[in-house]
Amino acid sequence: MTDTVTLARLDAAFAEAGVTGWLHAVDVDSGAQVEAGADQAVCTASVHKVCVLVTLHERAAAGALDLTEQVECPPAGRTPGPTGLSAMLDPVRMSLRDAAFWMMSVSDNTAADLLLRRVGLDAVNRTAERLGLTRTRAVYGFGEMLATMREDTGPAGAQALTDPHVITRLRALDPARTNRSTPRDMTRLLAAVWRDEACPPEYGAAMRRIMGLQVWPHRLASGFPFDDVHVAGKTGSLPTLRNEVGVVEYPDGGRYAVAVFTRTAHTAATLPAADAVIGTAARIAVDALRAP
Amino acid sequence: MDLVRHLECFVAVAEESHFGRAAARLGMAQPPLSQRIQRLERELGVRLFERTSRQVRITEAGTLLLAEARELLTRAESLRATARRVRDGETGLLRAALSPDISGETVAALLADFRRRHAGLELELHELSTAQQLAGFAAHELDVGLIHHPCDVTGLELGPVLRRDLGVLLPRGAVPADREEVPLAALTGYDLVLFPRADAPAVYDDLLTACARGGWTPGAVRHGQGASFVRGLVLSSGAVALCPRDTRLVTPGDQDLVWRPLAGAAPAWRHSVAWPRGRGDSAVAAFTDAATHALRTTAGAHSEAPARPLHLRPASEYWL
Repeated sequence: MTDTVTLARLDAAFAEAGVTGWLHAVDVDSGAQVEAGADQAVCTASVHKVCVLVTLHERAAAGALDLTEQVECPPAGRTPGPTGLSAMLDPVRMSLRDAAFWMMSVSDNTAADLLLRRVGLDAVNRTAERLGLTRTRAVYGFGEMLATMREDTGPAGAQALTDPHVITRLRALDPARTNRSTPRDMTRLLAAVWRDEACPPEYGAAMRRIMGLQVWPHRLASGFPFDDVHVAGKTGSLPTLRNEVGVVEYPDGGRYAVAVFTRTAHTAATLPAADAVIGTAARIAVDALRAP
Repeated sequence: MDLVRHLECFVAVAEESHFGRAAARLGMAQPPLSQRIQRLERELGVRLFERTSRQVRITEAGTLLLAEARELLTRAESLRATARRVRDGETGLLRAALSPDISGETVAALLADFRRRHAGLELELHELSTAQQLAGFAAHELDVGLIHHPCDVTGLELGPVLRRDLGVLLPRGAVPADREEVPLAALTGYDLVLFPRADAPAVYDDLLTACARGGWTPGAVRHGQGASFVRGLVLSSGAVALCPRDTRLVTPGDQDLVWRPLAGAAPAWRHSVAWPRGRGDSAVAAFTDAATHALRTTAGAHSEAPARPLHLRPASEYWL
C-alpha cells in the first residue's frame, strides 16, 4: 500500500514535467512496494530488450546456444536506428554477448533484431510466461515495429511526428496493438534477474553487468546523483513515450527494482524535463521504500 | 445472442490475456465470461483462444478477427451516442466545449453556423480549458470540444489543426509599442500574463520555451484570463500579455492599450476540434465544420505552417 504523501509527490512530479506517468517500485529483498498505476498496460518500446536479454541468457543456460558464438552482421538489411550497429557502415562480426551489450548499452535496434532472430519471438514470450509476466507480450521485432511507425507516419517522415493527427494514428503507441507490458511485470522481471531466479547465477551476473553499462544519464540515473549508488537500467522511447526500468543499488545493500513509463502531452522530441522526471519519480519511490 | 456484448468479452480477454483480469475489467464474474467466450466460439465456428493452465493465448484466427471486432464495437459505441442524442425525436443534445480564449465573435459565428447545419439539435456549449475538456471526454460528459495543442491526444480523433498567431498586448506608452512588430527580446523586463498552467500544461510550457528562445525570459508569470483582469495587469503592473489579434482586448480607439504582432516566427495557439475515438457522428462533424469555419472567418486562423525540421537525437532510440 503506497502512502498518500508519496502518491501526491509522484503526481506532482509527473504533472510538473507535463507527463502522465505509471510507476512500480519494489524492494528486491523485502518485497515492499510503491505503486502508482502499476497495472497500466503500457507500450514497452525498447524496454522490451530486457526480455530479449533474459531469453538469450536463459537459452544459453539451457545449452541451446553459446554466448560467444560469432554472428555476421552485413551492412544490408540492418534495422534503422541512431546507435550501435544500426548506425555503422561496414560489415561486422561479433559474439552474441557483445551484440547483447550493444543492444542494452545504446539500445541498438540492429543488435536487438539480430538476437531476436536467433532466439525467436516465441521464445521471448515463453520466457515472460515462465517468469509469471502475464501481461507482457512481444508481437513485433524492433524493425517491424519501426516499420508500422513509418507506415502510419506517411511520406513526410520524422518531422510529421509533431502533428497531433499523426500521433493519434500510430499503432506503435497503442498497447493493445504493439509490444506491451505493465510496470509491475517489469519490476517482477528485474527482481528475478537480480535474485538469480531468472537464470543461474553466472548468467545473472552477465546480465547485470550489461545492464549496468547503459550509457544514458538523463532518465532513471538522473534521480540518483550519488557516486556510491549503482544504477542499471534500460530505456524505451517512442514519440510521446519515455520509459525506463532498472535496479538501483545502495552501498548498504538495499536494492530496488523500479519501472517508470510516461506519456507526454507535448509532441516535441526533445523534452529534458520529461526525461528527468523518470529519475525524480524513481527517487521519490526509492526514498519511500528506504524510509525507516 | 447479443453479439456486441460477446465481442466486448472477446476483446477484453484478448487484451488482458487473462480471464480473471478481463472479468474484473468488465465488472463480471469469471465463469459467465468463460461461457460467453465459448458461446461466441460456437457461434463463429472459430477457436479464439488457446487455454493452458497458466495462460490464455489468442489464436491465429482470433488475431484475424480482433481488428474487426474492435471496429464493430467502435461503431456500436457511435450508434449509441447518436441514439442518445436523437432519443427524444428532434430534441437531441450535443455537449460541446470551447476554451476561454475564443472570442465572442467566433462563438456567435459558430453557433449560427451550427444551427444552419444541424437545425434539429440542441447545442449545450460550455467554456472549459483543454485539461477540463480531456477529463470531460474520459468521463463521457462531453461529446466534442475545441482544444489547444499540444495536449495528450490518446483516444481522440481530431478535426483540422488551425493556428492563431500571437501578438503582444502592452500599454500604449511602453517603449516596444512604438514598433510595428515587436521582437520577443524587446519585452525584456516585463512580466507575462498567461492562463494558469493546469489549463493546458504543454501549451504553457511550450510558450515559455518559445519566449526564452526568442530572448525574453519573463521575470514573473502572472496567471489571469478574464479580459478586464488581463487589461488591469497590463495597464498597471509592468506586465504584458500574449494573445491573438482576435482576442480583442484592445477596443477600437483604445487610449490605454495597444496590440502589436510579434516579429519573426511568432508563437501561435494551435487548435483543433476533438472528440473521443469512435464517438463521432453527423452532429460532431457539423460542430467540427462550424468551429473550423468560424475560426477561419472571424479569428484569422490558418492552416498549420509546414513543420519545422526535427533532428532526432541518438537518445530518441527510434529512427524513421
